[in-house]
Amino acid sequence: MSEQQHYVRFSVAQRIEHWVQMLSFTALALTGIPQKFVGAGWAETWIKVMGGIEIVRVIHHAAAIVMALACIYHVVVVGYKIFVLRVRWTMFPRLDDLFDALDVVRYNLGLAKERIKLARYSFEEKAEYWAFVWGAIIMGVTGFMMWNPINTARFLPGDLIPAAKAAHGGEALLAVLAILVWHFYGVHIKTFSQAMFSGKLTRAQMEHEHALELERIEAGQVDPSPEPETIKKRERVFIPVAAILSALMLVSLFLFVNYEQTAITTLPRRAQVQVFAPITPTPTIRAGAPAPTAAALKELPASHAGRTTCNNCHANNIGPKNPADHAGRTDATCTACHKMPGAAPAPTVAPTTKPTTAPGAPAAPTTQPPTTGGIKVLPASHAGRTICNACHETGAAGPKNPADHAGRTDATCVACHKLP
Amino acid sequence: MHLCRFHFLIALLCAAALAILGAPLANAQGPNPAQVENKTCLACHANRDLAMKLPGGETLSVYTDEAQFNASVHGKRGQRCTTCHANITAYPHPAVTARDRRDYALQMYTVCRQCHEKVYQQAIDSIHSKDIAAGNRNAAVCTDCHTAHYTTDPHNPRSKIPQTCRQCHSTIFDQYKSSVHGAALLDQSNPDVPTCVECHGVHQIADPTTNAFRLKSPELCATCHTDRAKMKKYNLSTNVLNTYVADFHGSTVELFEKQSPDAPTNKAVCYDCHGVHDIRSAKDPKSSVVKENLLKTCQQCHPDATTDFPSSWMSHYDASPTKYPAVYYINLFYTILIPVVIGGMLAFVLLDAARRILNRFQKPGSHSR
Repeated sequence: MSEQQHYVRFSVAQRIEHWVQMLSFTALALTGIPQKFVGAGWAETWIKVMGGIEIVRVIHHAAAIVMALACIYHVVVVGYKIFVLRVRWTMFPRLDDLFDALDVVRYNLGLAKERIKLARYSFEEKAEYWAFVWGAIIMGVTGFMMWNPINTARFLPGDLIPAAKAAHGGEALLAVLAILVWHFYGVHIKTFSQAMFSGKLTRAQMEHEHALELERIEAGQVDPSPEPETIKKRERVFIPVAAILSALMLVSLFLFVNYEQTAITTLPRRAQVQVFAPITPTPTIRAGAPAPTAAALKELPASHAGRTTCNNCHANNIGPKNPADHAGRTDATCTACHKMPGAAPAPTVAPTTKPTTAPGAPAAPTTQPPTTGGIKVLPASHAGRTICNACHETGAAGPKNPADHAGRTDATCVACHKLP
Repeated sequence: MHLCRFHFLIALLCAAALAILGAPLANAQGPNPAQVENKTCLACHANRDLAMKLPGGETLSVYTDEAQFNASVHGKRGQRCTTCHANITAYPHPAVTARDRRDYALQMYTVCRQCHEKVYQQAIDSIHSKDIAAGNRNAAVCTDCHTAHYTTDPHNPRSKIPQTCRQCHSTIFDQYKSSVHGAALLDQSNPDVPTCVECHGVHQIADPTTNAFRLKSPELCATCHTDRAKMKKYNLSTNVLNTYVADFHGSTVELFEKQSPDAPTNKAVCYDCHGVHDIRSAKDPKSSVVKENLLKTCQQCHPDATTDFPSSWMSHYDASPTKYPAVYYINLFYTILIPVVIGGMLAFVLLDAARRILNRFQKPGSHSR
């Protein structure tokens, strides 16, 4: 009994197929599981390490395509084996597999003396194979639904799309954990299997894992290969059928990937509002009552011409009293609304220094006050003023100089007009 | 031209008055321009018609309403005209170099910085300042919102805030005023709804059209919509962010926001479905997210969507036996199946391993090892 003796278990093609499935599964798990757990720190770090969510999704989709292609290939190969080579259905589940499993448990518990002899594919491997088949169907269908939600909702209730997402995530977690527990133990931990590397098992492994298969081999029970003529005959049917089915599956896969793009490529509309839309041309006076138009101005009585100390009377019950809302307004503001008689709404000159503090004394420096009658006393506010024409020449403020005053200089004014 | 003459007159009068009356004062405190009494300025500038012609042809009003100024935050504190108009110390005033009124505002607003450095710096980072720097003269400066002379508490009453923004953003205001937020604020003085500044910021107003703003926007909505106390008042769910993030759109947006905050994404954020300024109550028949209108909303991004597509979005519900039962029972199925299957596998595997270890010690050389 040589430990060195090896038994071929998997052909090169089978091993390549396994590697493709293994790599695409790993890529799908690595890119899929963190998407299931978005919100958890580790998941988000991992997504970042892989290049961000968009890249993660691209990898996930690419790996899904690879796995789908490998599955299509597998279906064709299995079909060839079943219909052309007509091999034994070694992977087909039987009720005995269940008893095998129970026997192993009994043996492990010490309730049975001998470990059960297992065939080419044990219940462990069959469980895994069919779990994979089941998982691939679930993941494929739910993956399609998420990849093509709009077209899915044409045929199925929309609620099933979040349901598909839930199933995809649940099934993924189940699959990954099963691989980690079941598969890793079965082929890496229990004994390290070379079956997918060299394609061979040691005699000891054969004895333990596949004793029935070993017995068959040693008894020379080689599976008979059909006659080349028979194969050719069967291939004449199988190849066209397989070609059509493969083509259909590949077209389905193409549709799977390209059925719809709208969810991926369209951008949400931008707010279609005019951002800068001032309510009016920017108002110069932003607050307060609008300035009344000239037409609205109240013309004051003729007698008021030239008067500037409005509040002296109107704040003190001489003449109409200021309305309540006028409280606090100074003389200077009155002419903004109240029109001086015979004048355009004219700016009023009214120094706001209080009359009590206004000195009268050194008022008119250049001329003697005339003693003749008929001299008009200027308003108290004018005390100390000397540049009369600045206002009165043009009527910019206060009454305009009469026509006969043309050419008179400031120095001459006090000859007739008495400063207060 | 008569106004210039007029100014000249007033200045002389003021100078005379100061020279005569204020001589002792002036001697004591020096010729500090800040000591010019507001009344001195108002002697002329209280005139509503006082204005000047600018080279560009516009008329610049140089009127100031004394009562209103005195009622302003600055007036109440006794600020002087010359605090801001510091370049004016005498008459005639320095020539105004502004070509037009806007130019004048753009020259003057920088004086706010003298006292308000912190907010001034914030405003420099705003979209308004960036637009100004890029040559858009219409972008708002301090005085556009606060006014130059009549600055009052800008958020009292709160309804004043959108009115302020309305001056330039009237179309947006029109949308806002009929929105669930705007109507509550403007019609009911509701203290909880956001005004413009809750979302856009006050001085540091970010460009809301950037990818970064878009990606951050769900958090913005969530500041109120995950506030239990606030939402309870209106019987609104605080689960809206969780359910959004649990969904495809939300997970992606959240990841983008954390990992590539400036990247563009077409995944929907709150306002893509609910509306931006015209956001309505989800119960409002006109709402973009009410069931009758949802398909149209989905079609903005998914133009081929058909009748049943909107129900693929779980409408911020957590799956339950009554809401999205398929999702609920599938989750329940896997919640049971995974522990059972994996637990069973573990039990089998551990038992098998234990037997192997036992065999190694008990039956050396055994066939079964």
